Amino acid sequence: MLNSMLGQYRRTIILVVVFLLIAILEVLEVRTTIYGNSLPFFEWMKNSSWLGIIGTTYGSVYATIEAVHLLSMAVIGGTVLATDLRLLGVVLTDIPSETLTRGTHKVFRNALICAIATGIFCAAGVADKVYYMPVFWVKMLALVAGGCFVFLVKQPLLNSMPHSEINPWTIRLLATTSILVWFTVAAAGRWIGFS
Amino acid sequence: MSNEKKWGDLEIAAVGSAVIIMGSLLFYWVLEIESMLELLELAYGSAKLFNNPLVY
Repeated sequence: MLNSMLGQYRRTIILVVVFLLIAILEVLEVRTTIYGNSLPFFEWMKNSSWLGIIGTTYGSVYATIEAVHLLSMAVIGGTVLATDLRLLGVVLTDIPSETLTRGTHKVFRNALICAIATGIFCAAGVADKVYYMPVFWVKMLALVAGGCFVFLVKQPLLNSMPHSEINPWTIRLLATTSILVWFTVAAAGRWIGFS
Repeated sequence: MSNEKKWGDLEIAAVGSAVIIMGSLLFYWVLEIESMLELLELAYGSAKLFNNPLVY
């Protein structure tokens, strides 16, 4: 009985455990300890790693890779808006949402990999600066939350059955959350540039 | 017998995580807007919305 219930609601149980774990770690101030201990790593990234050295020595390389980072972010924004506004019934309503979400998800995944790879290089060049910016950590938190949300929750649900069989309010909630989380990632990224 | 569809594991996990993530982000942005308004109060000093020491 218990085993069948655990199997039936596996993802929900994992979600509850993850959020409980986050709450417990927050109460025990684990995040604050990790933050304090990670400064040497950020200083090493800027001053000793080859990523940081190339980023700080060659401005043209940094600018080129940052341009690729911004283009990747633009592709992420485009796929997120196309998918989620379609799920909300605002745009591209003549295309079945199942077809659109499957197609855009592949592009989204590749753009996200590219954005993360180039983002690590961009952060390495200014690692000792971004370490002290709260907005950098907000961006990282939103990025992790958005990635987990899309790959572990949203896309598996959208791929599991025809969208007409999913509660429309669930689809609207998923689409709105997705837009908000990727908006936060983009806005925090630009905020880093102006801090 | 009820005709309502029973919610599956994926749907419950999706709604739960969406509510938590969206709630946290809205909370964050509302706080940011409030702190921006406080800074505007201090900069222009003519309105007392939150905590403007320039207006009694």
